[in-house]
Amino acid sequence: MGDPAVRPAADGGREPDARETGDALAALRAILVGPEQQALEALRARLADPAAQARDVAAVLPQALQLRALDAELARALAPPVEDAITASIARNPKPLADALFPVMGPAIRKAVAASLAAMVESLNRTLEHSLSWRSFRWRIEAFRSGRSFGEVVLSHTLLFRVEQVFLIDRASGLLLQHVDAGDLGVQDADMVSGMLTAIRDFVGDSFTVADQASLDAFQVGDLAVWIEQGPRALAAAVIRGRPSPDLRLRLQEALETIHLQLADAFEAFQGDAQPFEAARPELEACLRAEYRRDAQPRGRASAAVAAVVLVALGVWAGLAWRDRQRWNAYLDVLRAQPGLVVVSTGRSGGKFVVSGLRDARAPTPDDLLRQTPIDPATVEARWRPYQALEPAFVLARVREALQPPPEITLDLVDEVLVVTGRASADWLLAAHARAPFMSGVTRLDASAAFAAGLRDLVGRVQATVLLFIKGTSRPVAGQEAVFSALAADVRELDLLLSAAGRRAHGSIEGHTDSDGDPASNVPLSLLRAERVRDAVAPGVGHHLTWSVAGAGSNQPVVASASEAEKQRNRRVSLRVEVE
Amino acid sequence: MIQKKVCLLGGFAVGKTSLVSRFVRSIFSDKYLTTVGVKIDKKLMAVDGHDVTLVLWDLYGQDEFQSIQETQLRGTAAYLLVVDGTRPATLETAHDLQQRTERIVGTVPFMVVLNKSDLAAEWRLDDSAVATSFARSAGVVRASAKTGDGVEAAFVTLTRAMLAR
Repeated sequence: MGDPAVRPAADGGREPDARETGDALAALRAILVGPEQQALEALRARLADPAAQARDVAAVLPQALQLRALDAELARALAPPVEDAITASIARNPKPLADALFPVMGPAIRKAVAASLAAMVESLNRTLEHSLSWRSFRWRIEAFRSGRSFGEVVLSHTLLFRVEQVFLIDRASGLLLQHVDAGDLGVQDADMVSGMLTAIRDFVGDSFTVADQASLDAFQVGDLAVWIEQGPRALAAAVIRGRPSPDLRLRLQEALETIHLQLADAFEAFQGDAQPFEAARPELEACLRAEYRRDAQPRGRASAAVAAVVLVALGVWAGLAWRDRQRWNAYLDVLRAQPGLVVVSTGRSGGKFVVSGLRDARAPTPDDLLRQTPIDPATVEARWRPYQALEPAFVLARVREALQPPPEITLDLVDEVLVVTGRASADWLLAAHARAPFMSGVTRLDASAAFAAGLRDLVGRVQATVLLFIKGTSRPVAGQEAVFSALAADVRELDLLLSAAGRRAHGSIEGHTDSDGDPASNVPLSLLRAERVRDAVAPGVGHHLTWSVAGAGSNQPVVASASEAEKQRNRRVSLRVEVE
Repeated sequence: MIQKKVCLLGGFAVGKTSLVSRFVRSIFSDKYLTTVGVKIDKKLMAVDGHDVTLVLWDLYGQDEFQSIQETQLRGTAAYLLVVDGTRPATLETAHDLQQRTERIVGTVPFMVVLNKSDLAAEWRLDDSAVATSFARSAGVVRASAKTGDGVEAAFVTLTRAMLAR
């Protein structure tokens, strides 16, 4: 805009000055944008005014918080100031918060305590599990029926109590707010008792150093107990006869919490008029509990349960008994089938199976047989007496043990006759012959085959013997002593065997010479040689064996004697034996 | 029925217990005083058409050796200060007790009872001076445990003062 002094007038009249122009523009602006401008001003003023802003935010704050209620960011943002506020509130005066929290803290604490109590009850339960008395058996059934733990049932039976009075006492003054009793006690002057209870509580608290918030919660005189629960405004004191169960304290706490919640205004306004606390009576009366022993209760269902259990137990017992009996009978069958064992009697005595009988020493041990069955050996009483079994196997075993037969001998038992076959010495045969008839199960010995074999052997050996002599003499050649001894032994053996078998035999001893010399003089020489042999073998021989001697001279040479060696073979004595 | 807690305070052997014994209902023996330090009695009052039960907390005699228990005073609606009229020292104790009690329970009504009024010859107190020194009291009365004079009046005055609050 230029200098208004030099600007020509528009219509030849007076030119409008600058102020007039400004006013006009302002007026024009007011006409054109006036309302908007006013609104703008109002907005500006409002933005500059903290009080107005606070009002604006306050109007939408609930909705704003609601919009982001589920937003974790909002919770994080609010947490610090809220924590600070709570801390500051408690630091300034903890009572309002404590009062506010009291109704919810109680249940929370009780829950925690209940959990630890449950653990304790469980431990008690385990402790009692080994108790097997009839009473505990009944309690077990009760626990099973009621669904409670065994420990709880035991507790409920162990405890027996009655709450006789409950006082509700103003905590500050000790004045009685309400009092209920079991009705038949004729209680008087509860107001004085209330005061004294408070005084005693104060006395304990003042006299002994106790932690903050700690107080006298219970005291006991004989079988009378007083339990005191404390709330922010009032105490509840229960006078109990007997041993109360722990859940009574929970009941007291709950009653006190409920009363605080319902009568908060009455507490606030209390000036000595206890009338409003009439409303607390139902809660207090609910604490007037009595618990009696369950013994007096009807036993119908319990009896049925017991009967059922007994029946089941009987069934199980009978089943087990039947099974045991089956096993026992099977064992007896095994015993009876066993050679060398004779079962004489069986039965039961003192809860045990009893078996008695006879047992051969060579029969299997009944205990070993028992161990092969599922029967408990402790349940068996066995009485076995020794005897000798007459089964052939046992007889033969006994005979073998007694006679110790040589390996070449075979023993058999045929109709109680012991049959001996094979070769054996005459001594053994004689001993067997003598002992066999005295052995149980053996009537006699049949050793004819063994005798025959023995005789055959001996006769063979004797007849095979050749005794050689020095030329022209009746003296045996050097080295013939052994042959003489062996012959003598064989002859003695033969004689024994013959006597054992009850038979007789005859022996012929025949002497020979070589072909040298005069044949007539050779005959006497040969006879001398035969006699020489007879004298060597005959002494000591019994009458079952008889001898004859003969001299054959040189008439019966073994070989044609050309050489000296052949001649020596002919200078001999030979024997023959004939068994009758 | 309105109940009020009233404490009985006074120095050692001023006769508090004897003073009220024949006017109150009592179920606890005096030995509670020396054991627990307090004995509770009860007095039924009918004042100006109101039935009031006074629960009296008879506190064991206090002196310089026996401190007052704060917990016992808590919640009291009024108190009686008992002074032995023949022993001026008990008046001092009463002053001291009054101040300490007021610090604990605030300004609640109280009465000053000058006991042993039957012993006129041995009286050592100036009643009006006492009244002046306890300016905020509901009253100062002479009483006698022996004759019973003045006791009922003291309770009536105190009850009326409590009801007026």
